[in-house]
Amino acid sequence: MSTRRKVLLGGAGLLALGAGGLAGRRIWLDREPEPPPAIDPQGRALWSNWCGLEHAYPAARAAPADEAELAALLPGAKAPIRPVGAGHSFTALVPTEGTLLSLDRLSGLIEHDAAALTATVRAGTRLSALGPALAAIGQEMPNLPDINKQTLAGALATATHGTGKGFTAIHGEILAMRLVSPAGEVIECGRDQRPELFHAARVGLGAFGVLSAVTLQNRPLRRVRKTVTLVDTEEVLRQWPDLASKHRNAEFLVLPFTGKSALIVHDETDEPVRPRGPDQDADTLMSLKALRDVFEFTPGLRQRVAGKLLEDIPAEVAVDEGWKLLSNERPVRFKEMEYHLPIERQVEVLREVIARIEREATDVFFPIEARIIAPDDAWLSPFYQRESGSIAVHAWYKESHDWMFKHIEPLFREAGGRPHWGKLHSLGRSELAALYPMFEEANAVRRSLDPQGRMLNPFLRKLFGDA
Amino acid sequence: MRMAALAVAVFALASCGPGAQPLTPAQSAQLKPADARLAGLYEGSCKACHTVADSQAPLTGDRTKWDLRWKQGEDVLVAVVIQGKGQMPAGGQCFTCTPADYRALVRFMAGQEK
Repeated sequence: MSTRRKVLLGGAGLLALGAGGLAGRRIWLDREPEPPPAIDPQGRALWSNWCGLEHAYPAARAAPADEAELAALLPGAKAPIRPVGAGHSFTALVPTEGTLLSLDRLSGLIEHDAAALTATVRAGTRLSALGPALAAIGQEMPNLPDINKQTLAGALATATHGTGKGFTAIHGEILAMRLVSPAGEVIECGRDQRPELFHAARVGLGAFGVLSAVTLQNRPLRRVRKTVTLVDTEEVLRQWPDLASKHRNAEFLVLPFTGKSALIVHDETDEPVRPRGPDQDADTLMSLKALRDVFEFTPGLRQRVAGKLLEDIPAEVAVDEGWKLLSNERPVRFKEMEYHLPIERQVEVLREVIARIEREATDVFFPIEARIIAPDDAWLSPFYQRESGSIAVHAWYKESHDWMFKHIEPLFREAGGRPHWGKLHSLGRSELAALYPMFEEANAVRRSLDPQGRMLNPFLRKLFGDA
Repeated sequence: MRMAALAVAVFALASCGPGAQPLTPAQSAQLKPADARLAGLYEGSCKACHTVADSQAPLTGDRTKWDLRWKQGEDVLVAVVIQGKGQMPAGGQCFTCTPADYRALVRFMAGQEK
């Protein structure tokens, strides 16, 4: 067991024992949320997203085996037709009383070009399976998100991203895609072929049709060194622009009420492999929860105790291929809001986010995540024509997240932030049209493919403004 | 505290089938349902977590982890899979699985296929 884990578990465990009354209150507050019925009165099985916030009872479920089957299925499918990947989106992109369409059977590598470092893969391939499949042909995706359970189609649809100076989100690295329209037409598009469709539907929220295949521009497989260091939050905020430029991939997780942050950097290396150890993040997270449970009403004391427990913890280092290190298991379920801000506003807004959480939302214990993303040219990309600094706040799946909308989203909006499509936000068409210069053009392309709105559920109707 | 942990461990082992041994993730990853369609569902969903130690999910086929759960009853386990509980997300990432598929997958992962 590592020093970090021992200290956190030991220290927080003793503190928790000493605070029986508060712990009792917490046992009540920590009870499992009452789930919706597994089967509804019509005999339809429950679908729910990963965090448990959204659910539905689809009338039909479909999992086409290939593109031809997908194309044959779509024209007659009961609307709303909603593609589902891993169900990791926190927003209501997927719920449908019509057809829930899984791409799980459209998975795997189709072909690759070793010289050009490109690979065409079926759109339902999970990122966790894509890493080893590309490694086997000597390639890797330039960057990866924090979690790799998503399907490629789902990650593209929501502009899922990693972090790193000069690195775009995943959709920034695709060369071409095959989209099956709601009418069943298979359309191939890229920068030189149906470019309006390529730009509009690359980040498409599953509203333009259903992706069947994607061609990725990859890189040669490389080894990276991952280093996780606990640092003073003030120090990382001061040094952030330099740190972000200095490392291939850099991000940090502010541990609220502690004065500390976890700085995570990846750099290319030729060092020998040093496999990552067992995941410590989940244990650390629940130790932060134990600290919160005891010291929720004494934030000053919470910070002092945390400072003591977190001091002198050595850095964690691992060396391996990027696909093994950039993404993480996240066994503790949570809810999340993330906005992408103009890069020059990131640190200033983050300071205020930390201050507001520590002042107004003392029950928060999840870290606040800061990353950077390069600009791209997809019309519905939150990174459209601007380098972005993202800030994400989280709540445990059992706990309230109202504070995000009340205290944090106004800060993001004031700074001109664009919401992550898969994460919590309150925006509708008019606000989105003001944030995205090509929003109406993208919406027009969507309407041309789906004039009857068969791909739209109520949440998407709010986003695209269709009655 | 140590005594309590020991007692839980002893109880857990005592409740396992005779000779049950913990599996490593690599051993767990070798297992797959005999039925090809079910194997496809398993490989595309459950396996991503239930053969990975860091996911904290009970490893497929590890009776030292599953037998206590199995004692709650198959219906309870199937309901947990469909509705989600704790770290188990609803549906277990298999959105084309029917309730009967979930039942078969639970049996397989719990090492209770007859």
